[in-house]
Amino acid sequence: MSKEFDIVAYYKTLLVESPELSMPVAAIKSLVELIKQSQATTMSEFMISIKDASQKLKSSVRNSISLSAGCDLFLRFVTRNSLDVADFETWKASLISRGKSFVEKADACRYKIAEVGEPFIKDGSVVLIHAHSRVVSLLLQKAAASHKRFKVFVTESSQTQGGIRSAKVLRAAGIPTTIILDAAVGYVIDKVDMVLVGAEGVVENGGLINQIGSYQMAIVAKAANKPFYAVAESYKFVRLFPLNQYDLPTYNADTLSFQELNVDYDAKTSEDAAGIPSKSLTGSAATKTLSATASPSVASSQTALHMKTSEDQTLQGSNPLVDYTPPNYITLLFTDLGVLTPSGVSDELIKLYL
Amino acid sequence: MSKNNELVDDLVAKLKRRQLVGSSTVSQATLKLLIVVISRSNWTTANQLLTLVKSVGQRLIQANPTELAVGNIIRRVLHVIREEFREADSNASSHRNKSTESSHPTSLTTSSSMYNLLGETGSTVNDNVQYPSSLRSNIIQEIREIKDELENIYDNIKNQALLQIHSNEIIMTIGRSKTVEEFLKMAAAKRKFQVLVAETAPSYSGQEMALELSKAGIETTVIPDSAVFAVMSRVNKVILGTHAVLANGGLVAISGTHMMAAAAKHHSIPVVVCTGLYKLSPLYPYDEDSFNVIFNPDSVLGFEEGDLVEKVTVTNPYYDYVSPDFVNLFITNQGGHPPSYLYRLIVENYDPNDHTFDL
Repeated sequence: MSKEFDIVAYYKTLLVESPELSMPVAAIKSLVELIKQSQATTMSEFMISIKDASQKLKSSVRNSISLSAGCDLFLRFVTRNSLDVADFETWKASLISRGKSFVEKADACRYKIAEVGEPFIKDGSVVLIHAHSRVVSLLLQKAAASHKRFKVFVTESSQTQGGIRSAKVLRAAGIPTTIILDAAVGYVIDKVDMVLVGAEGVVENGGLINQIGSYQMAIVAKAANKPFYAVAESYKFVRLFPLNQYDLPTYNADTLSFQELNVDYDAKTSEDAAGIPSKSLTGSAATKTLSATASPSVASSQTALHMKTSEDQTLQGSNPLVDYTPPNYITLLFTDLGVLTPSGVSDELIKLYL
Repeated sequence: MSKNNELVDDLVAKLKRRQLVGSSTVSQATLKLLIVVISRSNWTTANQLLTLVKSVGQRLIQANPTELAVGNIIRRVLHVIREEFREADSNASSHRNKSTESSHPTSLTTSSSMYNLLGETGSTVNDNVQYPSSLRSNIIQEIREIKDELENIYDNIKNQALLQIHSNEIIMTIGRSKTVEEFLKMAAAKRKFQVLVAETAPSYSGQEMALELSKAGIETTVIPDSAVFAVMSRVNKVILGTHAVLANGGLVAISGTHMMAAAAKHHSIPVVVCTGLYKLSPLYPYDEDSFNVIFNPDSVLGFEEGDLVEKVTVTNPYYDYVSPDFVNLFITNQGGHPPSYLYRLIVENYDPNDHTFDL
């Protein structure tokens, strides 16, 4: 093979081909493919190529948290095993087979989580969920399949429209579902028995990184004394210790910056009328009426979370995609390792990385 | 085998009739039964033994699902059995190939962890190994150690009393708990303090508690349950006993405990819970009432009140669920722990495969 293996392109085609695949699993799949195609002859060359590739992957997408969880887990596994290598080729083969079996097991993780979390859904209860999460949907589907009658409120999550996707999935499973505005969380919280969210990543202190809006949901839930449960596969545990919202790797100087201060507002309104997108719209925040009249590029910026044109990115660049929920707002985490308290997460991470 | 069945039936019947109540007596009876069952029955493999213990466990738990201590003891025993077989296994395999294969450190494979996603799945217990004859006695020995631990549980807990209780403090408690009683008596040997006991209607077990404490020379005052909030501001510490501790740190304790804990939280008074580790259950409170018992309402509204009895519904729940954010500290036989640390104790004492008894 003469041409260099393009891991980023491979990763992106994987996600397009199978939308059910979650980011960390796709990342590990790509790294396994890299090992397969690797021409490295020495150990250190091999290790460097893997590290480079995972770095490349991480920098290729805007929202890299769950992706880097997968990469780090795999890298950790490779370095840990690299100590007792007898034969390079057989070792490589075993890495590949392990990686493959991981991808199979990753699917089983979700079912395990649905199993441990299902008893928490009480008959006759009302559940509030946020945006779209495959594992949350699966958990609710399982609860519905075991003849529990419950209702679901789902936030539309205007940035990705994930709530609408969730509602479709849940209604198909026969669960009464209502879509609410992101701003209506406080309005419905009194009717709700529990809050359930997925996760992009679970950080070292047991806190949660998830689609924007989770943090405010957690605060509202705490104020109303409702349990706030997070659902996450253990391969989403990441070694980060954010102290606040602006400590996340996804944060940059552009995030929520006040660029429009220099803009001439009069000129802008005329631009809007002409249908030319301006900085002030900043993508996601566009209201329904605005997006109806605004240019197609603004409307499309509301749809895809991961893959966007560069123009959309500059438009949406200033609005964060994820937020961080500190552990004291989280009642319990449902994972494939069982039900954990937030402090249990750091224990698992220490077991892996110590 | 039939003799074993008789013994199991006997305990099941006693649990069902509530002839045996209280976590301590129930767990000691369970342990005694398990020792007999394990030493008398024929088993050769780990799976046989695990299934045997689990089937006994299932029957006992079904007999009285609210006595969580039964399940805890059975899980402890299952954990011991797994550990012993694992040890025997690794000894056997290290004898066979001492040099060729470096076995993984056990900490990686013993419990499910993130590493298992990529590594080997946890070593399943192998059935084809010839186990040394000492295995049976080793297991019995380990179980006897649990028994000793149960018998000495009060000693380990009460030894921490002087760290918690200081001179001239005012302590509040509710209900009758042997653990709390021993704890306070131990402190009273060296320090002078005052105890307020809520009478704990309708069982009035608080009154019995007060009697025991005053016999030991502690300055004790009984207060009605309704006065708990009123006097809370003068209290230095609330010390509670409990029926069971759940995996999230929540308590299943005598009714009235939640009210006392809430009053303490309102006044920022520390709440300390004294409990043996055998009361720690790996189960979660899926539902606040899932571990509750409704008792005979006679003590709330007796038949003497004939006219009223016809017109009202009376319930008498025996337990309260107290959520973990009301508790500041657990004093167990292994030391003091905050509620957030309990998961760690669960990992150390129980095998994750045993949290539910599916055969």
